[in-house]
Amino acid sequence: MAKSTIKLRTKEKGGKIQVKALITHPMETGLRKDKKTGKKIPEHYITKVVVEANGKPVLTADWSGSISKNPFLSFSYAGSKDDTVKLTWTDNTGKSDSIEKKVGEK
Amino acid sequence: MKRRSFLKGSIAAGAAGAGLAAGILTPNMAFADDVADNPFKAKSVDEVLKMLGASGAESSDKIKIKAPEIAENGAVVPVGITSEIPGTTEIISITAKNPTPLAARYTFGEGAVPAIKSRFKMGKTTDVIAVVKAGDKYYTAKKEVKVTKGGCGG
Repeated sequence: MAKSTIKLRTKEKGGKIQVKALITHPMETGLRKDKKTGKKIPEHYITKVVVEANGKPVLTADWSGSISKNPFLSFSYAGSKDDTVKLTWTDNTGKSDSIEKKVGEK
Repeated sequence: MKRRSFLKGSIAAGAAGAGLAAGILTPNMAFADDVADNPFKAKSVDEVLKMLGASGAESSDKIKIKAPEIAENGAVVPVGITSEIPGTTEIISITAKNPTPLAARYTFGEGAVPAIKSRFKMGKTTDVIAVVKAGDKYYTAKKEVKVTKGGCGG
């Protein structure tokens, strides 16, 4: 199986679940030019990231090309260590990927 | 060079024309919204705020922006935004001097702590503006980040 584009780490601390995610994605703005051909590199960036805990959305992020390449995201929510956290991203070309993990699972 | 810029201009005009035509062909307003009123496509901070309906945002010291004062590499600038305003439902991050200033909008679900950390691109020295939505009101705070090497363009 191809390696997931998402690295997801979750940790329980004092009733809060800390979620850290690293997504592998080029995040092209559409403004950058190819140095060799002088042509613009078409835009290719993640437009939406949804993080769900036990099926309920806890964070929805709308992104633009102003987010760095291989984006990183970190936040926390009130939950328990039995939660299942799911992260899904969609980019402007319609591609998407998702990952689901139990809290604390590596 | 002149001819080149002329060409570019005409292409842009053509694209705008096509956009207009598309607008006419799709009477569905929600769909048109996506193209014309997408705040992510807005070119200035004022436009972004207007589209979000956050023009009159009150400045607040309860929004904390954690960002480096000097960023050596504008392609990767770690920024953390924390809101201490009760009832925060949205955090919007705007990089003032980027070609499309609106960088990200985070909507929080139940139980989420209104604090996020992400990495942003910054073309040059700019203000990072955080807009926080709590209830029906918008609050804002900003912080300048000096960029010594830009992150946009090749």
